[in-house]
Amino acid sequence: MTQERFIDLVRVEQEPLRRFLLALCNGNAALADDIAQDALVRAYVASGSFLGLSKFSTWLFRIAYNCYIDHHRKVRPEEAPVEAAFAVPADDASDASFRYQQLYQALEKLPEKEKAAIALFYFEDLSIKEIAGILNMPQGTVKYNLSMGRTHLKQYIQS
Amino acid sequence: MKEIDEFLRENKPVVKDDPTFLLETRRRMEAVEGIKYEVDRQRSHGRVALIVALIVGLAAGVLVTLLAFLYPIDPLTVGDGLWQHVRVFLETWKMYLVYPVAALAVALSLVLTLGRKKAARL
Repeated sequence: MTQERFIDLVRVEQEPLRRFLLALCNGNAALADDIAQDALVRAYVASGSFLGLSKFSTWLFRIAYNCYIDHHRKVRPEEAPVEAAFAVPADDASDASFRYQQLYQALEKLPEKEKAAIALFYFEDLSIKEIAGILNMPQGTVKYNLSMGRTHLKQYIQS
Repeated sequence: MKEIDEFLRENKPVVKDDPTFLLETRRRMEAVEGIKYEVDRQRSHGRVALIVALIVGLAAGVLVTLLAFLYPIDPLTVGDGLWQHVRVFLETWKMYLVYPVAALAVALSLVLTLGRKKAARL
């Protein structure tokens, strides 16, 4: 894959990719973009092995998720910055800002797999099959994680 | 559960438009290309050095084997000195000289074949 072709594909996918990582990083935009760049470099290096058997976006999201997991393993939760820089647009109304904060704080408490499944299903509108491909788990497990994630989120948001 | 569905769909995280993001991606890709180029260059240099060493070794081996077989010496008549010892050694073991020479030939053909296959893949 040529550099230009790769950049063209990334141009299309960068926003969903960054949004997915933003949700995984609980609203920490700087960290999400850092992981996204890392993922893109890894994808570019491995682009020769992309055979087109799955969609480019699925392949890219899988790499990004693995990068996030690697980062998460390296940085223990207690070492992570206490206050995440919540990526809320400055011109948003304060109630929207509050809702984002509520969302990110609830997402922060979710287990990683549930958080990833919720982010891909609700924020990226992907099918269960695609999510299973990205998270490398059976479709039944994705459904289970989604269901558990919803239940947990409801509890966290209501409390 | 409907409320949570709606809450999630209505509150998708918003990504700030960042024109420097793709520029940074491009910059990192250029860096990757630079590293790839340097690694390929080093590998190519190493391969050339290996091929030259194998060719020199093979030529020397063939020459020594030919000399050993074409000009046999009598170990009992040679004098002292390092060169004479080498000649006696070669005379004694000349029937086995063909093995390292054959091994060098096989190694050279393998290096050349694998290199050509890799170039064809690229």
